[in-house]
Amino acid sequence: MKFYPYKRLNRPVTLRVTSVSLKLSDGTRDQLETTAYSTQQQAVALGIAGHTDWVSATVGLSVTLPPGANAPDAAWSDLCVLAVLTDGETNVRTSANLTLDVEGGRDWSGSLEVFRDDHLGRASLAVYAVGTVDGVRGRSIAETDRNWVIDAVSDEPVHGLRLNVQKASFRKSAREWLQVYADAPWVVDTSARVPTVFVNTDVEGIIDLLDSSGSGVDSKVRDLLVAQMATDVWTAVFHGAIGDLEVDPAGGPVFPTDWQGEVLREMLPDVIPGVHVEEALRQVHRRRTGDSGWTELQTRIHYAAVRRADASKALAFVIRGLEQMNRESET
Amino acid sequence: METGEEFGPWLARQLKLAGKTQAELADELDLTRAAVSAWITGRSTPRPTVMVDIARALGTDVGTVHTRNTDTQAGLPVTWYHRPGYPDGGRDLGNAAAFAFDADVQVLARETCQNSLDERLTENGRPVKVRYTLHELTGEALGAFREAILWNDLFPHYSAVSETAGTQKVGRVVDAGVRDMYEKGRLVLLRVDDYNASGLIGDDYSDGKFAAVVRRQLESLKSGPGAGGSYGLGKATLWATSALGLVLINSTLSVPHEGRTERRVIGRLELPWREVDGESYAGPAWFGRPDPDSPGAMVARSWWADEETVENLYLARENDEPGTSFLIVGAHDVAGLAAQSSDPDDLPIGDEEDVDTRDIKTMHARLVEALGRDFWAAMTGGGSRLPLLEVSVRALRNGEEVVAEQRVDPSVEQPSRTRALRAYYEGTTVSRLTEAGQVAERNVPLKLPLSGGAHGTFGTHQAVLLVTEAEGDKDGAKNRMHSLRGNRMTVKRSVVQRLPANTNPFQAVLLVGEAAGETAPFAKEAEEFLRAAEPPEHDRWGQTEELTLRWSPSAYRRINALTADANNAVRELVARPKRGGGEGAEALRKALTVRPRPKAKSPTGPVVPVLDGLEATVGDAGEWQITGEVSIPRGDEIVPMVPVAQLDVRSGGRPRLDWAELVGVEGCEAENGTLRFTPGARRAKFRGTTDVTSHAVRTTLTRLVVELRAGKGSDA
Repeated sequence: MKFYPYKRLNRPVTLRVTSVSLKLSDGTRDQLETTAYSTQQQAVALGIAGHTDWVSATVGLSVTLPPGANAPDAAWSDLCVLAVLTDGETNVRTSANLTLDVEGGRDWSGSLEVFRDDHLGRASLAVYAVGTVDGVRGRSIAETDRNWVIDAVSDEPVHGLRLNVQKASFRKSAREWLQVYADAPWVVDTSARVPTVFVNTDVEGIIDLLDSSGSGVDSKVRDLLVAQMATDVWTAVFHGAIGDLEVDPAGGPVFPTDWQGEVLREMLPDVIPGVHVEEALRQVHRRRTGDSGWTELQTRIHYAAVRRADASKALAFVIRGLEQMNRESET
Repeated sequence: METGEEFGPWLARQLKLAGKTQAELADELDLTRAAVSAWITGRSTPRPTVMVDIARALGTDVGTVHTRNTDTQAGLPVTWYHRPGYPDGGRDLGNAAAFAFDADVQVLARETCQNSLDERLTENGRPVKVRYTLHELTGEALGAFREAILWNDLFPHYSAVSETAGTQKVGRVVDAGVRDMYEKGRLVLLRVDDYNASGLIGDDYSDGKFAAVVRRQLESLKSGPGAGGSYGLGKATLWATSALGLVLINSTLSVPHEGRTERRVIGRLELPWREVDGESYAGPAWFGRPDPDSPGAMVARSWWADEETVENLYLARENDEPGTSFLIVGAHDVAGLAAQSSDPDDLPIGDEEDVDTRDIKTMHARLVEALGRDFWAAMTGGGSRLPLLEVSVRALRNGEEVVAEQRVDPSVEQPSRTRALRAYYEGTTVSRLTEAGQVAERNVPLKLPLSGGAHGTFGTHQAVLLVTEAEGDKDGAKNRMHSLRGNRMTVKRSVVQRLPANTNPFQAVLLVGEAAGETAPFAKEAEEFLRAAEPPEHDRWGQTEELTLRWSPSAYRRINALTADANNAVRELVARPKRGGGEGAEALRKALTVRPRPKAKSPTGPVVPVLDGLEATVGDAGEWQITGEVSIPRGDEIVPMVPVAQLDVRSGGRPRLDWAELVGVEGCEAENGTLRFTPGARRAKFRGTTDVTSHAVRTTLTRLVVELRAGKGSDA
């Protein structure tokens, strides 16, 4: 629980994205459709139009401060509103000053310039209302409670991290390291920027099966295969994420800011249920680096992965499908 | 001086109304019967001095005798006429048309407002103004009103109906209405006024709007082919909303009748068959002046009331603009009960104890909601298009304002849709959405069939689809499409299905028929087609008998095709089409997306207390002084917790502060920096002070983070 040594507003700032446009390398601009962002998901996908050569993006923002921000008797003065884009991977922070729409109102708007070269993938956008309180400048009075995600490469506005899926012939791939795994149908690479699943196209029919649609037994087998792969992947990414944590001066683990952080925040509640994620991370870290408890934890990690992969649902569908098929062949 | 009709016929009618013979008048005036007869046949006119005597004899002023544009107030008093029972002994236990509706002020709002829209005077280009007034009467005001409507004459009829209440629906409703009035000592009047409308013109009995509303059932005499109603059912909602089945009417006519326009008054009562004092009555009754031309001078017809009378009947209109006032006596709102119980958040006003079907504040809120929802388009103007309708709602109690008159503002009730329509009228729509607040416009074809069951298409009408971003949930549920035609009343509200989960919330409007503009091809024909496809509830377009008879049994499929096309057009505008192929393995991608899932079950065992509240101040020496509140889940064994104070940082590890003092205040004890909780406690409180020497920065520039950690807490 946080506490500030000065007066603040309790309620969060609301942030909306109102437009997105890209500046291309030839100097032209492409005004993207509103499908480039999702208010539901709080995400912006800058890769949606398929441009690979954009230089910068201009994201139009509209912000509403909580009631009381403009009260005449407020404890703060010199109020200004900043949009701050933070990239946990590249450690770039960009901020933009917003302007008040109507004197005496609570709506602010402006735009944020996002440079392609500053980002690898996902960056997080928050808004702070900042003012002078008790003579100290630059104090944050209210913030957004849930950040928006601005993804420089994604073609679909999705808030959650999406792992990468790639198809490759392991035997003939330019990625020579894959050749070692030529007899595996898939492998997971957690050392990449975003964990990537490589699907081995040398295994005949695997791609067809994965791409199959429809309602027959094929699709049920596909779901089972997907569940199996997803279980593998989630187990691997969890170990990848917990594997090299930064530690603070006191020896405690620091929450990572990139994909590892997202994976841990998502999976830890299933691994160590009933406690705060920070506490859960400390417990897991203690068990992994300490003398005991790591082996016992494997079951919990596996359970967290199985839950994410929806394995039991996929299995139930396959079993029901098989039963139905048997019944039909009997009659 | 402007004069009405000829003196002779006028005098003859006044005598008949007053029940006087020519001889009696001659006696009173001290003249011969022949002189009176000569006036009536038009052979002579009385001298001015005699006019004064005539006025006195008829109980009126001399001006009326001179102008003769009104009847005198003399004669048979205003009374109730109950239609006698059918001679064949048949019994109507209620009005079937009224059965089609529940007592629902929202339905009433839709029907009455639609009627007013249809009767708007179009020549002056001004909107029709509709005002709903909820008026609760108690005490003296209630008594005076009951006297004005001759309640004592009506009461035996209500009693007779109440006796049948056990077996019969209308009886039960009426019985409950009467009992509510007596037990709670109150009566709710709901008045619906329209101004700049045609008013109830025409004769009392023969074809005309007056007779259509007051005398007939299932007759619709609408002013134009684009009218909303077509069944003549709508007026029944007036009676359906009255628990007493009683509606009083005052109309200012746009076309004079009997030389007059203002204060044409009549009342109509809808009761089931009943027997009173041995006489049987068929059902309806009228409140008016006995018509001397009717058999036995029994039938009540409308009369031209004076200002005092309309005042007493709560029927006074605010100016002489033509239009009609309906006064629903004993208004109740049964449907409002369901709304109250299902989503109380929607109705912030109205106390828990006050939840009943006659709460005027609740009815007020429901009226505003329904009017905004159904008529936002008619209230919206822009460009060269003016709004067709202005509506306001107010609530009074014994003449005192309870809820101030509130103009229903479409940009408040339906902000996104109103913005969309306004942009369309002003010509500021775009073809694709690139910015929040824009309105996208598309054409959607409606292929009109040939009439008479022939195969083929008569013509293709281009409906207009408008899509814009939803402004929060102010327009109601998101991702809806409102469809409307020429009368600009929302007919259909449908959900646009099959949208991706990350679609930005939107609202859509589909303008069909004359709503798409006069220049749209086949607008008139489309209008006619859709009007025929509209059921009495006015809530959809689809298969109706009329559609089948005039076009063909499969004609409704044309509307389905329109809906499908419109939905597809919406999807194209708001959702990106699914990429075909690409990297493939869509199912696998989905399974590999981080998204929150329901929490896993906590293991059983010792329960872990959590920090529930925190108070902190900076002390004189710069130390943080904190008081923490802890909530403890129910459990036999409670894990000891270590409170940890840290300074918040933007990145990296948080510097930890040492405790100078840590004490348990309630439900716990501090021991070497660990809190041990009293078994069975559900809440605990502790106090702590940090050690200033462990602070890395000035305390007033720090943010404090306090956590409870389980176990030893030494390594973290």
